[in-house]
Amino acid sequence: MIWLEYAIMQRALIACMLAGFLMGLIGVFVVRMRLSAIGYSMSHGAFAGAALGAATATNPLATGLAFASATALLIGPVADKARLHADTITSIVFPLNMALAFVFLTMVPEVGLSSQVANILWGSVISMTNTDLVFLATLFAGTLAIVYFVWKELFAIMFNRKLAQADGINTKPFVYLIIFLAGVVITFSLKLVGGLLIYALIFNPASTVLQFSENMRKVVVVSPLVGMTTTVSGLISSLFFDLPVGSCIVIFSTIVFAVALLLSPKRRRKEENNK
Amino acid sequence: MREEAIIKLEDVSTVYEGESRPAIKDINLALKRNELVYIVGPNASGKTTLLETINGLLPPFRGKVSVFGLDVQSNGRTVRCQIGYVPQDFMVKPGEPYTSLDVVLMGLYGQIGFLHQPEEKDKKKAVEAMKQIGIEELADRSMGKLSGGQQQKVMLARALAKDPEILLLDEPFSNLDPDSRGQIPLLITKLHKEKNLTTLIVTHDIHHMLNRCNRVIVVTGGKILFDGTPENALPLVENHPHTATLEEHHH
Repeated sequence: MIWLEYAIMQRALIACMLAGFLMGLIGVFVVRMRLSAIGYSMSHGAFAGAALGAATATNPLATGLAFASATALLIGPVADKARLHADTITSIVFPLNMALAFVFLTMVPEVGLSSQVANILWGSVISMTNTDLVFLATLFAGTLAIVYFVWKELFAIMFNRKLAQADGINTKPFVYLIIFLAGVVITFSLKLVGGLLIYALIFNPASTVLQFSENMRKVVVVSPLVGMTTTVSGLISSLFFDLPVGSCIVIFSTIVFAVALLLSPKRRRKEENNK
Repeated sequence: MREEAIIKLEDVSTVYEGESRPAIKDINLALKRNELVYIVGPNASGKTTLLETINGLLPPFRGKVSVFGLDVQSNGRTVRCQIGYVPQDFMVKPGEPYTSLDVVLMGLYGQIGFLHQPEEKDKKKAVEAMKQIGIEELADRSMGKLSGGQQQKVMLARALAKDPEILLLDEPFSNLDPDSRGQIPLLITKLHKEKNLTTLIVTHDIHHMLNRCNRVIVVTGGKILFDGTPENALPLVENHPHTATLEEHHH
């Protein structure tokens, strides 16, 4: 573990742990509330924003956050007001964000595969600064506090949104909260994993754990741990094989999901029932 | 003194998103406290829409819905905290990570309120509701592993756990086994009387309503075709569920 003696690698490791944990946690709500398409649009919103930051020499984190927030507003409250179905709005917003991202990337000085563009696309361990870590740690604490305080509402909405509404929970603010939190977590983790791949880290850990557990509380505890393990494993593999860290993390988390699917008792039961 | 209606619909029409034809049209209805009302009618006649308009899950396109004297659209959360609701054909898939007790306890979350956590007394209420329905032994079982009838009982316990003033039950006995089909409606009638509830039950089975309710509403084509006593409703609905009689009357 000689690599851990370098401050840059220590930062990368801590960032991987924090980002993996956060994405594994938020992923549970995104998957269970069936917001997957929305999360996909959010990640590409953050990607487009980061690309704008690179093109205009402003902080990609700030522009990424602005784009992710604007996307959250568009696919949350604005779509609701306009009575647009989630499928419709995400189908419009997703390609728009991708189009904007590519336009902005071509505007980045010394375009081609400049390191800045590559970082935004594929992620980079060496790009993490101490400030990024402070942001991630604050987000980590804030997200845990939010989930703790509104767990009851999130738990009910994940079971069935209409029933939660019928029992006197105003579900909209909580769904918007998850959309917004997903956008923020994605933005702060973008540097590490890259804009094209980051969504896999929202989806894969939660989907992996949901193959096994029949207790939602356990899912919410284990999914962040799976997220953290896969990001750290991806980081280590990227160092060994000298590959982009984002790609390694996503390949690793996909392998974990595939193995989980093979071993899944729920899938086996479904197959037996279908026979 | 004239008793105030606990549920009141004035010229209410509800249109589903993306549709032009109202699912219920120009409904006027007043229900007093402690009324037990059965709603019958053919498929897609607007029975479920009527229930979901009353508890505010569906916003009316036109007209006004008041419950406890409050406008449901602007006081939805307050109103729904006092309504026990069982939706139609609600089934949890196998493998869903929720126990039966989780599901029943969730019925109380609205009443417990924002930023408050369920306490031991809330859990006791949920267990008590499961005992009333006779399913306390299912408390720790995964909801998705239960039969359709057991799940329906869990949903009934969920509706009762919050000690509601109003019960809205949408085909609540459809999946029950023959024994439970006899017992559970009797239990609902008993609780209705004991707790002074206002109860609306949507059903396809007219045998359930006889001798149990004091009012029957027949809905067809999104309109109220009949509103009166079970005795007077019977000739109209006895061909149910084929509903030829209802359709003929409607036209």
